[in-house]
Amino acid sequence: MTRAWRMAALAALIVVLVIALTPYVWLFMTSIKSRLDALADTPVWLFTPTFEHYPKVFLDKGYLPMVFNSLVVAGTVTVLSLAVGVPGAYVFARHRFPGKEDLFFFFLTTRMAPPISVVVPMFLLFSYVGLVDTRTSVILAHSTFNLSLVVWMMRGFFEDIPREIDEAAQMDGHTKAGMFFRVLLPIAAPGIAATAVLCFILSWNEFLYALILVAFESRTLTVGIPGLVTPHGTLWGQVAAVAIVATLPIIVFTFLVQKHLVRGLTFGAVKG
Amino acid sequence: MSVRKRVDRLLDKGVGPLFLAPSVLLLVVLLLGPFIYMVVLSFTDLSYALPGRDGNFLGFDNYRRLMRDDPVFWESFRTTLTFVFGVVSTEFVLGFALASLLFHQIQRRRFVLTLLLIPMMLAPVTVGLMWKLMLQGEFGMLTHYLRAAGLLDPQTALLGDHRLVLWIVMLVDVWEWTPFVTLVILAGLLSLPREPFEAAIMDGARPWQVFRDMTVPLLRPILALVALLRGIDAFKEFDKVFILTGGGPGNATELLSIYTWRINFRNWDLGYGATSAFMVYLVVLILCAVFYKAIYWRAGGGQG
Repeated sequence: MTRAWRMAALAALIVVLVIALTPYVWLFMTSIKSRLDALADTPVWLFTPTFEHYPKVFLDKGYLPMVFNSLVVAGTVTVLSLAVGVPGAYVFARHRFPGKEDLFFFFLTTRMAPPISVVVPMFLLFSYVGLVDTRTSVILAHSTFNLSLVVWMMRGFFEDIPREIDEAAQMDGHTKAGMFFRVLLPIAAPGIAATAVLCFILSWNEFLYALILVAFESRTLTVGIPGLVTPHGTLWGQVAAVAIVATLPIIVFTFLVQKHLVRGLTFGAVKG
Repeated sequence: MSVRKRVDRLLDKGVGPLFLAPSVLLLVVLLLGPFIYMVVLSFTDLSYALPGRDGNFLGFDNYRRLMRDDPVFWESFRTTLTFVFGVVSTEFVLGFALASLLFHQIQRRRFVLTLLLIPMMLAPVTVGLMWKLMLQGEFGMLTHYLRAAGLLDPQTALLGDHRLVLWIVMLVDVWEWTPFVTLVILAGLLSLPREPFEAAIMDGARPWQVFRDMTVPLLRPILALVALLRGIDAFKEFDKVFILTGGGPGNATELLSIYTWRINFRNWDLGYGATSAFMVYLVVLILCAVFYKAIYWRAGGGQG
């Protein structure tokens, strides 16, 4: 490529990055602006920062428990989905049995199932057994899509491990279960870590299930944020403060799993 | 010792079913159960808002009503189709362009890519709020600059205008998901073998010819995958639009998922709501089957 072309390409990339990042930067600036600056007629880019919104919304308005709820839900969902899903993925990768691929397709449909369709009957069934407005209800709902994510993603990671390793382990006298726990799991550990992070993000970011299933005590952060938006006078500083707290851990995590992101988000169909 | 060995052998046989059973069980209970219940509900008149409608069997009345007497459902269907085709095609064109750009940008690729991922990793609710803040009618940052540039008249609010609002919502979706398309197409481009391309250029092929006759055909399976994945996701879209407009003004942005939410959790018309939910499920299942076939196609009919 010629020099001029290269400069043009670089310029285009810079424009793209500005478009991609400005909304988030603006959100962050809003979270540390005074009310006057945030509502100014002309957008204010330079201002004296204030950190009053953060304590106000998390301590005075009681948004801190929601952070806790989100952490508990996303954490439990991740552990549950991995504990149940990783052994299942191993079976898909190594065993042969009739109807295997059909069962695998069933797992895919559960991952893709539209939340709005699942949550309608789920809400009714959960209310019959008294689960509505508990963290358990959200944990169960989120494990549906995360479990199949684990199975789909981990099958690929297990298939990447050469079969000779299984054979060698069996020669060493390991039982199948022993081989799985002592030999294969350690090898698949990076894949498990990436899957765990993705599970956590998906549960942490989820909105619709949580919106329907919990109303008061067990609200997660994503459900709590829209509660601050009212038709008459939204406190945008506080909204932005909560949104920033809700997104910062995700951004950190994104950097951690970037390498495996393509695989996770395409159900293993594309290995990034 | 020999007893232990026999026990071990027995356990070996049981590992498969034992390892698989919990996940199948959990999904059957949590998804198949509600699914069946939804189908049952769709044949009843259950409603939490009207007296006397406590789940009487209706036969196919709900389906007849949906097919014949509910123009709002079909308008919502049209809105959803517009949304899906609009965003997926736009994200495709932009994503392909961006991926090609990054493909040639070797030095800063990783850094740029990481930053580009941020929009799609944020919670969709946050994305909706961010854009609501920027598009706000009185003090919104984007609204202000558009007005200052003379592109928007002072009376119009972008999210309050009947004709504009669907396009604005689609634009936000394009902002959020173009990075995903870029990421996957770039992964595809990087996995292509280099030799045929070098040979073609040596033979004097023009860049456009190389793109049309080599890049696109070689990438076709991956392109199909991205299109389907994005299509399914866009069809299910709820969070952002719910926050940005709630389906309004009127029902200008009432996607199927928002329509279904309204019937169920605003009107509490649960029997009819289940019918609508079932329709959404059906479309996704069909798309899902196509997606699965596409994976097989890519793997050449082998292991998915």
